[in-house]
Amino acid sequence: MERARTWQAMRFHARAGEKLKDAVLQGALRKARPLFVAKRRKGMTSLAEDGLEFEMLRSAAKNIKNRILADLDVWLDLFEERAKARGAEVLWARDGAEAARLVVEIAQREGVTKATKSKSMLSEEADLNAALAAAGIRPVETDLGEYIVQLAGEKPSHIIAPAVHKTIGEVEALFAKEHGRPIETRTSADIPDLAREARAVLRQHFLSAEMGISGANFLIAETGSAALVTNEGNGRMVTMLPRVHVVITGIEKLVPTLEDFATLMRLLPRSATGQAISNYVSLLTGTRGEGDHDGPQKTVFILVDNGRAQLLGSPYEEMLRCIRCGACMNHCPVYFSLGGHAYGWVYPGPMGSVLTPLLTGQQQGSDLPHATTGCNQCGSVCPVDIPLPELMRRLREERVDSGRRPWSERLALKAWGWLAARPALYRWVTRRAARYLNWLADDRGRIRVFGLLPEWTAGRDLPVSSARTFHEQYSARKRA
Amino acid sequence: MRVALYVTCLVDLMRPSVGFAALRLLESAGAEVFVPEGQTCCGQPAWSAGDRSLAVDLARKAIAELEGYDYVVIPSGSCADHLRNVYPRLLADDPDWAPRAQGLAARAWELTGFLAEVAKGSVLPAEFAGTVTYHDSCKGLRGLGIKRQPRELLLKVPGLALTEMVDCEECCGFGGVFSVKFGEVSTQIVDRKCDAIAAAGADAVVGGDLGCLLNIEGRLRRRGDETTRVLHIAEVLAGGDEA
Repeated sequence: MERARTWQAMRFHARAGEKLKDAVLQGALRKARPLFVAKRRKGMTSLAEDGLEFEMLRSAAKNIKNRILADLDVWLDLFEERAKARGAEVLWARDGAEAARLVVEIAQREGVTKATKSKSMLSEEADLNAALAAAGIRPVETDLGEYIVQLAGEKPSHIIAPAVHKTIGEVEALFAKEHGRPIETRTSADIPDLAREARAVLRQHFLSAEMGISGANFLIAETGSAALVTNEGNGRMVTMLPRVHVVITGIEKLVPTLEDFATLMRLLPRSATGQAISNYVSLLTGTRGEGDHDGPQKTVFILVDNGRAQLLGSPYEEMLRCIRCGACMNHCPVYFSLGGHAYGWVYPGPMGSVLTPLLTGQQQGSDLPHATTGCNQCGSVCPVDIPLPELMRRLREERVDSGRRPWSERLALKAWGWLAARPALYRWVTRRAARYLNWLADDRGRIRVFGLLPEWTAGRDLPVSSARTFHEQYSARKRA
Repeated sequence: MRVALYVTCLVDLMRPSVGFAALRLLESAGAEVFVPEGQTCCGQPAWSAGDRSLAVDLARKAIAELEGYDYVVIPSGSCADHLRNVYPRLLADDPDWAPRAQGLAARAWELTGFLAEVAKGSVLPAEFAGTVTYHDSCKGLRGLGIKRQPRELLLKVPGLALTEMVDCEECCGFGGVFSVKFGEVSTQIVDRKCDAIAAAGADAVVGGDLGCLLNIEGRLRRRGDETTRVLHIAEVLAGGDEA
């Protein structure tokens, strides 16, 4: 716990330095990046087979989410009414802590000793596993990646591939220890074997857990359903086998109708894994009906705000369109240099750099919006067209406006701006700067160490080409 | 055709030859070229850093000095994107300046876009013996749709062969202030670009934005690559080493 706190308090810059030196992590990231990019590209190309096109779909998806956000309270009321009509209970949580408390209370009331979980990032926001464990209830992650991360005592480093930072050797060591067997040498060909091994262990948990906890990829207002998009089948086990099913999810996951859900489903799996559709798509509506052979006897929706409602009507409202596909991080040069843990909270990559400061009230990740090259590879692949670089820029602007940037940076910016507004003086200064740079450069025209830009020259030379600025040479030419 | 050349602050200070190459290209395209005297910086670094009022001041300054020309041409996708896509937004609520910002946005062109789409069929004086690989800079590519234009122009250069590197649209890690604030992360990103360039095996890597090129050249040299040339597309298209 103490270690976790220290880790969170560290700034992005320091965490980044550690991650860059982690050779095992770097190897895992190098392998994963091209796969993610190629899969999405293939998935989007396949749209043409259905006579569809990315830009057209993305505009439709954006409209669906905007429609929900414009009247979120009304749609939430409708969802609550429809879900209750099907026998579900609907609870509301202001923040993660309240959500965790509600889950624990339900578990205690129902006499639960073990809860299986399918993937839920909101449960990470709520630090739910810690809350359950503290109440003597054992949480068992059943998504393979989450299972690995839980065994390692870590947090997910990616929202759809939580263990992407792990190598197969690390997974083998974790499994050998947990499953009480000797360590073997493994290659990627053994992944199916390792998955089978985990399944065998998890099956016992599926059958014995009294409670299943899932997130929801979408909530459907007209039917009061939760939609679950998974590939491993664990989601079905978690939501169908235990007596009690708790859905814990953010209030922004709502879509109006099943048809809207179908539109978004054209984009979600393709954006995430390149699949035209995921292996499993579950629509979970209410409790076990009369004559039904399976399904939970009790279904509880916990709809969590945790900083979301305050974004409505703010310059950051567009962030609430996010459907958590992970495409932004999969195409982010910064994410794939560091992995997700460098971002310090639940959500990594570009969407995390926007969400983390917003949802945590800037307690976490205040420097995240600065950790971007502005390349907009994220924005261009976003299936709901969130202008992620602009939202990060906007957060930077807020920090400048409220005086939360270092004085040295503010002063440098002001001085440079003052100068740029005065062309004659600017020419005088840049002429001297060009001479100075040229004097610093070696005989091949390179500066190898430059005190004014230490971070630049730590990794690269600064090429210098001329002792005279363009404008100096140009005026001389005009005079001649 | 009266054309204003906006050389950019980076070219002015770090690589004047790019400005002169752009000048020659525009003249060979039959334009009457002007270099407006007061130009300094378009203000993009201020906008990016989050200093809106400074960005607005510098936008007004640039708009005022770049009026009265048929076109404004910029040898940088990043600065051209700022003039075209950001100025109108920055000044949208200012009744006096909004139309002027929109006017400039409509006249502002990134160099290769201008040469390929406006000054079509102009005679390029260059020759280049060797293979080149083209790095698509982010703002030009994703902000302005600069993709086929530089390639079309390069393929017209006698002696030049174009070979594509893998992930040519991947960011090089420059990102302006990012590369001096998060230098280590930036180095990690530009290393992937350098690997792609090395694998392409070209004699030169060519791009349309000096920031990216300084980053790539600086890293290639630090890695010990002394031979791969790093050139702005204006330098390749204009040929020669004049200026």
